Amino acid sequence: MAADIRNLADEEVMQLVGDGNAQAFEVLYDRHGGAAYSLAYRMVGNRLTAEDITQEGFLSIWRSRLRYDPARGSVRTWVLGIVHNRAIDAVRHGAMHERRRQAIAGVEERHEAPERTEVEAARREEARSVRTALDALPDDQRRPIELAYFGGYSHSQIAELLDEPIGTVKGRIRLGLHKLRRQLAERSAAGGFA
Amino acid sequence: MSARDHASYRDDVGAYLLGALTDLERQAFERHLAGCPECRDELERLHPAAASLPRSVEQVEPPPGLKTSLMELVEREARERSSLPAPRRRRRLSLPRLAFARPLIAGVALALGVVAGIVLADKGTRTEVATVDERRVPGASARLQIEGDGENGAILRVQGMPSLARGRVYQAWVQRDGRIVPQPTFEVGQRGGGAVAIPDDVHDADAVMVTREPRGGSRAPSERPLLMVPL
Repeated sequence: MAADIRNLADEEVMQLVGDGNAQAFEVLYDRHGGAAYSLAYRMVGNRLTAEDITQEGFLSIWRSRLRYDPARGSVRTWVLGIVHNRAIDAVRHGAMHERRRQAIAGVEERHEAPERTEVEAARREEARSVRTALDALPDDQRRPIELAYFGGYSHSQIAELLDEPIGTVKGRIRLGLHKLRRQLAERSAAGGFA
Repeated sequence: MSARDHASYRDDVGAYLLGALTDLERQAFERHLAGCPECRDELERLHPAAASLPRSVEQVEPPPGLKTSLMELVEREARERSSLPAPRRRRRLSLPRLAFARPLIAGVALALGVVAGIVLADKGTRTEVATVDERRVPGASARLQIEGDGENGAILRVQGMPSLARGRVYQAWVQRDGRIVPQPTFEVGQRGGGAVAIPDDVHDADAVMVTREPRGGSRAPSERPLLMVPL
């Protein structure tokens, strides 16, 4: 492996991936595969399905030579967006909801990633920070946000689950995101994370 | 746009960012977004909060076999690609400089999609034949009918395309100056026939292509094209 590629910034690695460079793709996976798998696992609660989703997401980046546009955010946000779309597809069109409930009930064993590098430690810290901001939201705003983003539920399903009018659910999602944005900005300003 | 219009859409911004609108609602919201700077501002404001959500999850270790099997596939495909003899074809099939199309652009494309079907009528047309990925869609064919110089879009007609699983649709794309612009989604009948209006100006496009996407369409293709009409 060209150590040179490992020293490149994400944006430059993506240029090489777009040119069909398998080594650059491996670097991309090493940097973001864990976060992608973690997101998929959080959404489907099942290792095998999370593996499938992560593999499909990364293969779609490789095979379609998707070009990353820095104007739309970081490479990590972009990769996670691709995996999130795949996972939403899986939970909406599979029998995932039931599996996820089982997983939430503790059927799946946990397999927390060890902190091996400074980067991983920083990501854990970032995750903790976002979770703290999310947990600080009022329940009636946090729950619809989590059900929508991680559960793949539509707002009408959420309204049914929470026994609230649809308009109320949509309004609370918007208010909750506003509050989350402010909290993240404050934490960022206070040196929480960039 | 009336104030009432805006008020009825304002609360959709959050649900839209989290993917919680139905397909119809999403399309209506994107049409509204195209003409509402306030909602676009709100979308930009809330985007970082939505983008932070995947970063909140507890990090778990992917099984090592995942990387092994992924890299086996990728390295094999990289070797196959490098042994392809026809550089022109390879260039055509690559998707350089993909633009991460903004929801707004998708919305405008969808809005135009309604118009295009009406605009394209009877004037002199030319037909371009698609190159088909025979391995993935064996027996399929497609033709692109372009009216005049293509400034008013085109119609793509497909035949022999397989029916897709529930929740999956075909989506058309226009490649131009290294960017891939989303076009409407479409489905095929029992015999695999179907058509889709391409609302984008295709007169300076490099290619029109088709992929399989989740219902509602994607902002960027999630797989290699199943078929491609080089222009």
